[in-house]
Amino acid sequence: MASTPAPRGAHTGRKISADHEGFLRHRHFRWLKLAATLCVIAILAYLMVDVQPRPNGGSWLGYILGTIGAGLIVWLSLLGLRKRAMTQGAWSLKAWTSAHVYLGLSLIVVATLHTGFQFGWNVHTLAYVLMMLVIASGVWGIAVYASLPTALSANREELTREQMIEGVRAVDRQLHAAAQPLGREQAELVQAALEEDLFAGGFIARLSGTWRNCSTARAIERFALAGTDDEAASKVEKLLIRRKAQLDRLRRQMRLRALLEVWLFIHIPATIALLAALTAHIVSVFYYW
Amino acid sequence: MTFRLRTVSTTADGRRIVRDKDLAQDVLTVGRAAESDIHLPDLAVEPNHARISLHASNRVAVEATGSLGFVLDGQTQRSASIDPRTGGELRFGSTRILVGNDSGVVLLTVEPVAEGDDHDDEADGMALAAVLPGKRRLAWILAGLILALFLALPIASNLLRSPDIKQSHVVGDGSWTPGPLSLAHHQLEARCEACHVKPFQSVRNETCMSCHKGVHDHAPETRMSLARAEPGLGGRMLNGVAHAFGKEGPGACVDCHREHEGLAPMAPPSQQFCADCHGSLKDRLTDTRLGNAADFTRLHPQFTPMVMVDPASGLARPVSLDANPHENSGLAFPHRLHLDPRGGVAKMAATLASERGYGQNGLSCNDCHRTTEDGVRFKPIMMERDCEACHSLVYDKIGPTLRKLRHGDLAQAVADLSVAGNTTEPVVTGRARPGAFGANQLYFAQFSRLVGGRLVSSMLGKDGICGECHTPTMKNGQTAIVPVRLPARYMANGWFNHAAHKQTRCTECHAAPASSSSSDLLLPKVAECRTCHVGEQEPGLFAPKGKVPSSCAMCHAYHPTGAAPPLSRHDKH
Repeated sequence: MASTPAPRGAHTGRKISADHEGFLRHRHFRWLKLAATLCVIAILAYLMVDVQPRPNGGSWLGYILGTIGAGLIVWLSLLGLRKRAMTQGAWSLKAWTSAHVYLGLSLIVVATLHTGFQFGWNVHTLAYVLMMLVIASGVWGIAVYASLPTALSANREELTREQMIEGVRAVDRQLHAAAQPLGREQAELVQAALEEDLFAGGFIARLSGTWRNCSTARAIERFALAGTDDEAASKVEKLLIRRKAQLDRLRRQMRLRALLEVWLFIHIPATIALLAALTAHIVSVFYYW
Repeated sequence: MTFRLRTVSTTADGRRIVRDKDLAQDVLTVGRAAESDIHLPDLAVEPNHARISLHASNRVAVEATGSLGFVLDGQTQRSASIDPRTGGELRFGSTRILVGNDSGVVLLTVEPVAEGDDHDDEADGMALAAVLPGKRRLAWILAGLILALFLALPIASNLLRSPDIKQSHVVGDGSWTPGPLSLAHHQLEARCEACHVKPFQSVRNETCMSCHKGVHDHAPETRMSLARAEPGLGGRMLNGVAHAFGKEGPGACVDCHREHEGLAPMAPPSQQFCADCHGSLKDRLTDTRLGNAADFTRLHPQFTPMVMVDPASGLARPVSLDANPHENSGLAFPHRLHLDPRGGVAKMAATLASERGYGQNGLSCNDCHRTTEDGVRFKPIMMERDCEACHSLVYDKIGPTLRKLRHGDLAQAVADLSVAGNTTEPVVTGRARPGAFGANQLYFAQFSRLVGGRLVSSMLGKDGICGECHTPTMKNGQTAIVPVRLPARYMANGWFNHAAHKQTRCTECHAAPASSSSSDLLLPKVAECRTCHVGEQEPGLFAPKGKVPSSCAMCHAYHPTGAAPPLSRHDKH
């Protein structure tokens, strides 16, 4: 029975597990090994080559390390273009990303040795600092991508973003109706809470998770202080507390999103800035040399 | 137990129609089925979707009866309990049911969700992108700033500067400096264009020599280019890059004098710069007199001092110390005569010790050899200062006045002595102790009796006063003496700093006390220097302890200016 189909389950299971190998573990850490080898060779060369009067980027070893470093930086920054085309195989996007991570980390060694540990207030050190900033933000990115999605999904409680927002909006509509019998002072508090922009928190507030001037919190505080036993007011107070709970979840979500996304806001602009500084570094060295 | 059902609908022209209907029952059904109490003609709603019931505790319970849930306050649920006083918002498909309280009756307001309500404009407000400028914009701003400040500005300023170097001022190139200039060039800091004259052209020799006018070449360029060893792979690559970018060299000023290495004296070049040529010089420059030298410990030729061969004419020849050369300085006595602690000289010196500052154990080296002010070398021997304390040239006394022969002027001395016979009193009779005949006193000179012409010949003779130090000779048929010629520097191309060796006794290197012949050349060989000095190449871990690492620049200068070599100059002591 040549046409008997091969039993599938077990085989596909193994295949699937291979497919789900992350970019960090790709091909048994192939790129980690390659990058580590590059670092070891660079360190050994640095230790063995006696550059006079002291190690610097202008020696032959400095030129080699600098050329490797500049080439790596340009290639690493091309991930931004490459990631828009997903492919499979040896040059798959996953392989590319794995190489991006490990070769990017190896730049710490290659570029630091290229400097010969000579730093100053100049465009050369600026390029180095920007490069280290890019690498550090990349490391941060990998770290948060490994840890935060769990927290993000736990906080979400299977709600979609729209549902979360709709939850607040639903409470808002009820608040608006419930606050109709209230006096001017209390109505203004509710009004302020309703007018509050759900996404008002700035960059710092989102990263730190401290939301000052929250109108809902202030309204709850005032209602509690007034201690009214008016039925309408107590209904509004309960609704405000419900709104605050919904808002808190929304804000936790925003904080986690901010922590998750902030690295790219450093990684990408700093990369482009680094390419500019690198150009200035190379041109200036040969302009005045 | 009553529900009040309030149905809100909107007419085509936007007018709202509100109808109230009281339902006196405990349970209401919600669904698409026509018999439902709240009939929702919506395909997203099941025929029997949910049931709303009123409990005794005055709470409203909502339960899904089909397979789909409902939304309460934005969250999908299958069952819920709502306090009508607080209220809640239910949603089934595109219909919203508000649960509330209307004067004791549970009010259910049924209202279709307005078109467009589902599309929240702020949907992406949760992303960080909502509060930060776009990544692309941020990137272009940063890159533009960097390129403008650190590339365009300095280049434009450099290209547009005044051609007169004194007037020119380049803005922004301070950000290009890879490090502070050395102490010597510190005043040129922030005046990059003074040395970096043309864009993309390395600092030229002519630029250096516009200030450093007195610098001489190490050797003729033709010989130097022959002498250079083929560089290794790394060196060839460096030369390739240098050549491609129009750098001068090899042998350009900047090849050895590296700038921007910190605010300190410019570091002398390492011995490798010398060893590149001198390590195997004889292979390429076969006619050179110089031995190969690469490292003081491993490869350095024996010293070749200038040895005096004819003191009369001052002729000296370079001879390797390996040949154990003898010198002929014209000196008549060996050093041991003065330094033997048990000899007659030592006894005389002890007698004179209090007056002349000699030691009790006889003469020491510095009683005759005086160091120069900088301590590097020794002053030439001056008879009057260094010898006359004992070796007086007094030959006559008239009243209290003593008459002395003039040292260094033989004709005058002969003339003086020729008329000495006129005196009536003998100068000295018999030997007296030398102390009484110091520099300004009388010394028993071994003159013969003061009789006519014999005086001169006895003075110049081997046992005469001059013969004590000088070798007698004949010149133009006349008796004469050979001048003593002691070289101030035996090694003109090597620099030896005596001051740096102060803690070492002279006799550790110069075997003067044992020297029994005036022809002994009292110079140490290279092996003796190596007991303290090691070459620069010794790597850190294996460096011998307590040795002085010594590169070429400690003793040798590259430019033949006669000045101290760079390493020696930097030595504060």
